[in-house]
Amino acid sequence: MRSRPDTSAKTKRNSRNRFLRLWAFIVGVLTLYAILFSVSSARVVAALRMSEKIMLQIALPLLIAFIIMVVLNFLSGPGQIPGFLGQRKGIKGTMFSSVAGILSMGPVYAWYPLLKGLREKNVSDFHLANFLSNRAIKPFLFPVMVFYFGWTFTLILNMLILAGSLFTAKIVNIAGKRRL
Amino acid sequence: MKIAVAANGPDLDAEIGHRLGLSPYLIVIDLNTMDFEAVSISFDGTGAGAGIGAVAIALEKNACAILAGYVSPAIAKPLLEHNVEIFTSVSGSVRDAIEGYRKGELRNSVYVSEATGKDARRDKADMAHALKRTARQFASMLPLLVGVILLVGLFQAFISKEVLFSIFSGQPFFDTFLGASFGSISAGNPVNSYVIGDALAKLEVSPYAVTALIVTWVTVGIVQLPAEIAALGWRFALSRNLTAFILATPIAFLTVSILRILI
Repeated sequence: MRSRPDTSAKTKRNSRNRFLRLWAFIVGVLTLYAILFSVSSARVVAALRMSEKIMLQIALPLLIAFIIMVVLNFLSGPGQIPGFLGQRKGIKGTMFSSVAGILSMGPVYAWYPLLKGLREKNVSDFHLANFLSNRAIKPFLFPVMVFYFGWTFTLILNMLILAGSLFTAKIVNIAGKRRL
Repeated sequence: MKIAVAANGPDLDAEIGHRLGLSPYLIVIDLNTMDFEAVSISFDGTGAGAGIGAVAIALEKNACAILAGYVSPAIAKPLLEHNVEIFTSVSGSVRDAIEGYRKGELRNSVYVSEATGKDARRDKADMAHALKRTARQFASMLPLLVGVILLVGLFQAFISKEVLFSIFSGQPFFDTFLGASFGSISAGNPVNSYVIGDALAKLEVSPYAVTALIVTWVTVGIVQLPAEIAALGWRFALSRNLTAFILATPIAFLTVSILRILI
């Protein structure tokens, strides 16, 4: 029986780096607050009040986003995404890669090993690029986007991103076929 | 003695597959030597064909047990007929599941005790899995969001409109380019871009720039570019990111123009 090398090491390293960057960012923000407090305590207090206001405003849309995320996670496990991508051709294949991109969650680098594997199985660059571009559409964040920018803006922007994804995918597909 | 585990990746640290037949790998482990073989499962989209394929692999490799998040009745039947034990509601990494199996902590599938199977139990396990997964995703998102909100607070308290307008000149194309560039070099959950975009809009920065920022935040990834190149090649990564960046400007202009017509 043959053993395969541990390919998750890179993913683990990425997660660790991300975690360190996150805490470095938070420590940086808090340090900035401390420094600015010595410059103008009144403005820092005002900044904290504004931040508190934003947090309170965003709480309900985030709660709705959480519920939508649970529903999406319940209905579509991560194992289903490769099935959506598959190797279908034509409109059905495009639709499936779009849906897979829209439903996919989590950081993008978590998807790279899977996409690499699918590419090795001859899934076209068009579908892979379409998948990545459609990740820009986040249905679970619609409540937050609507809260900030309104329904009309949310609808128009996401429709245009959907159309733009097809254009991007086409260009990537053409670029992939052209040999220098 | 061998067991087979449905997995989302080809190694022992991969997450357990949510459902046998829809998981991309079946990992067959020899419990005596801990040698393993990751067999890729081909998909037909429905999972039916892949499910039967997984059964065939498990039987071919002489696995005496199969571990997964969920195993459908159609796939469970032939496994039970060949005396392959089924353990469902298994989560975490493949390595953890093996340990759980060794210690006898896993519970048999509902099919063992109830030949017909009960969807309610599966639904309950799936819902718990979905809740756990969502909580994890949210937990990873919230600290950064709080940090960004704190920064936005500082931004609003300390940066005057005059300073902002010295950066955003009021020329639509230049401002849109600036917005798109800022979005491209930023990373993290898109909700951060909404918070920043809203703050900029309130300071009367051009809506084109704000829209371009929101678009490139999610479509262009300069920070992730090396990883994308490593996974999919430089031609793929560069053409995708460059096209997405260029496209952000027409998308921003079209969105705002349509919005102005409609409202």
